[in-house]
Amino acid sequence: MYEKEFKFIFDYAKNKADDIEILLFANNSFSVRINKQEIESFNYADAKGIGVRVIKDGKVGYSYTEQLEEATFKNIVNEALENAKYTEDNDIVILENHPAIDTKLEVYSEALDKVDVIEKIQFSKDLEKFALEADKRVFNVPYALMGNGTSYSKIANSKGLDKEEKYNNAYAYVLSLTQEKDDKRDGLEFVIGRDFSKFDAKKMAEKSVEKSTALLGGEPIESGSYAIVFNNEMMATMLATFSGIFSAKAVQEGKSLLKGKLHKTIANNNVTIIDDALHPNGLASRSFDSEGYPSQTNILIENGTLKTFLQNTQTARKDGVKSTGNGSRTYKNTLTIAHSNFFLKPGTCKQEELLMQHDKTIEIVALQGMHSGANTISGDFSLSGEGFLFEKGIRKHSLKQFTVSGNILKLLQDVEMIADNFKFNMSSIGAASVLVKELAISG
Amino acid sequence: MIEKKLIEKVIDKALSKGADFAEVFVEDTYNSRINFYDSKTKQNIVGKDFGAGVRIFYGTTAIYAYTNDLNEKSLLTAADAVSKAAKGKSIIQPIDLTKIEFENIHPIQIPNNTVAKSDKIDFIRKINKASRNYNKLISQVDINLIEKIQKVLIANSEGLWAEDSRTYSRVSVRSIASDGKEKQTGTEGPGGHAGYEFFNRLDPLTLGEHTAQIAVTMLKADYAPSGKFPVVIDNGFGGVIFHEACGHSLETTSVAKGASIFTGKLGKQIANPIVTAIDDGTIPNEWGSENIDDEGMPTKRTVLIENGILKSYMADKMGSIKTGYERTGSGRRQSYKFAPASRMTNTFITPGKSKLEDLIASVEYGIYAKKMGGGSVMPGTGNFNFAVGEGYIIRNGKIAEPVRGATLIGNGAEALMKISMVADNLAMAQGMCGSVSGSVPTNVGQPAIKIDEIIVGGRK
Repeated sequence: MYEKEFKFIFDYAKNKADDIEILLFANNSFSVRINKQEIESFNYADAKGIGVRVIKDGKVGYSYTEQLEEATFKNIVNEALENAKYTEDNDIVILENHPAIDTKLEVYSEALDKVDVIEKIQFSKDLEKFALEADKRVFNVPYALMGNGTSYSKIANSKGLDKEEKYNNAYAYVLSLTQEKDDKRDGLEFVIGRDFSKFDAKKMAEKSVEKSTALLGGEPIESGSYAIVFNNEMMATMLATFSGIFSAKAVQEGKSLLKGKLHKTIANNNVTIIDDALHPNGLASRSFDSEGYPSQTNILIENGTLKTFLQNTQTARKDGVKSTGNGSRTYKNTLTIAHSNFFLKPGTCKQEELLMQHDKTIEIVALQGMHSGANTISGDFSLSGEGFLFEKGIRKHSLKQFTVSGNILKLLQDVEMIADNFKFNMSSIGAASVLVKELAISG
Repeated sequence: MIEKKLIEKVIDKALSKGADFAEVFVEDTYNSRINFYDSKTKQNIVGKDFGAGVRIFYGTTAIYAYTNDLNEKSLLTAADAVSKAAKGKSIIQPIDLTKIEFENIHPIQIPNNTVAKSDKIDFIRKINKASRNYNKLISQVDINLIEKIQKVLIANSEGLWAEDSRTYSRVSVRSIASDGKEKQTGTEGPGGHAGYEFFNRLDPLTLGEHTAQIAVTMLKADYAPSGKFPVVIDNGFGGVIFHEACGHSLETTSVAKGASIFTGKLGKQIANPIVTAIDDGTIPNEWGSENIDDEGMPTKRTVLIENGILKSYMADKMGSIKTGYERTGSGRRQSYKFAPASRMTNTFITPGKSKLEDLIASVEYGIYAKKMGGGSVMPGTGNFNFAVGEGYIIRNGKIAEPVRGATLIGNGAEALMKISMVADNLAMAQGMCGSVSGSVPTNVGQPAIKIDEIIVGGRK
């Protein structure tokens, strides 16, 4: 697909740029949201764009367009060349023809693309209906929605690289609000996957309501230091908040607290963190990254020791290593680094065991303020949380909103146990529940 | 951008299955970003966002489709897709689209795409130099210069045809101070609905030094205490508390769902009588201003809260249909990729009579939040949290040592009642606000305010 467009750009750039890379991204998506059993919104999208990265006299320039016309293609090549003149980056960028991966990834489901619209609408209606029926304390279901999308990406460069891939997924999301006296709580449940037949509206709805009602009638917690269990979803949230510190770009720019810590022990020996773009169940699995570099499995922290950063070819060259296949860019952005399926390796014990280890343990089941209360440069965080107080493994009561504060590296060093209840979140970040020795709580 | 006859055809097609309303939004946007760190221009990119969205209503159901292909075939396919999504009974006759005229209250003096890139980089260099010269502890300065010229065309089945061009200029500066062990940051991000003249009016020296000073102060600060304290939140970005904790809950998007803490509270006391709050999209060249909203309605000045009484919500067209409240020119969207929703523009608490010093003097022990960081809120519960970017202890009515890592958490409805003093030093600050219709430029603003009691999450 898009051979004509790519050829036009290559031909036009031939005697102008030393090298050029063309990236195309196209996406067809659908979503439906229900409110009071009526369709509240219904969206279709058919979007695409082309971005170019040019090399001229060793300098890099970028430009993009969402208007796929020849006149605009000429413009973007010229604009990218103009931009390259002003780039002062000393990093050498060399475009290459990278090999393909050995395995065939299952990232596209034809069956998913054929699910009827009526079925999707009904599923979303069911999400709301089952949530409202699940408990009389449910007073509102502000979000009951599902969506799916199919994407196509193509990347080619003047060194002969030419790769394309098609992938799709579907997701559903339900948020239930419950109330008891003056206390209002919310419960969110989501699912993301490629097999729509496994989506269970009733189970999701009931789970969202259960999450919400369990928190009702919270009592204040005395400020102090407590043993903490982050449930699987919240541990993934913590990892998501600090995932950027593994970027070699952030390290080279002095923006990561992991600078200077390579090959050092930075976490307890039960901590292994992996980024796996080839994960069979991962929704971020791809055959190649945004530079066309083949995907691979990268162990970032192995039994507590920092093994590698996430690299693209540009940062890797600077560090004298190989790319890890984590080059990331949309056609609208310049090259950076991003995780794929990023996860904390699960343990073998049950979540209940985690909660029995200390006299008092707080289980955290909701967190807010990740983009404001977490400093990704210092590693400090101070987040608003919700959860339960456990005494010797027995759930005493839910808690009023509190804050949990600490530092991410200290947290990783204080990981005492990891459960087996592994789950990926909507952003392909996964974890099981984790017991942390102590963190500061203020109520 | 596109022929009137084609737009009329698309609207007719969209209405063909008995819809109540159809609208077309076309966008052609120039985007430019220069990213500078390590004292070098590292990355710069320009590009063109281009596409159209078609929206129709059947009762309270909204259907939206968008595409990048603005040819007749693709647009009619998009219109056909939306018309098929539901069936209605309305019969709307084809109507002549009439161009609406309005005064351009945000004149642009220097179009950004006419200024040499080297001039822009010189400006950035001055900021970088000022920050690094301020203190040896400054280890990195990250500067982004963002420019956007968005041309929009909005037409609908009520005969509206509106065109506008919106220019945005913003520079964001992040200075990082490091003592080898730890790092702290100081940020500023001034912006305007204005052309390159906006940058010419900024003082790069002040911008660089100020961000450096915050970073260095915070590096030397001890952790904030935990507990319940009175808090004085200073002007400018301090307004993020109102934006997050109250503003979002006054958007009909959440009010209509009954998911807002302020649903059904119109005419009722929701804040301390000392509080008056305004959303004003008409302030010339302000970051959150627009001539017309993304539904083609001229923006307005809306009194949200007057002396503590809730006076108005912020309504877009669908919000107005659902709630019955009049539209307030609040229908906004990030781009053609989003259907519009009710959003804030420039939202602020109006000045009171006290002086900042009076607010500080009234606190025996508490926190002075000189500069706020970002935050978020759950509209259903009103629970919010936000970070203090630059904070100090107040001891015996005086500003004492700096503290870092503080988070303020609370509930919007409760916090509004607990605002007991309002100073006279109103100032605005710029932000990008994310919500259902994407990320849009908004101003937050307030004079210094005192909240009698709020939970501070620190580490001590």
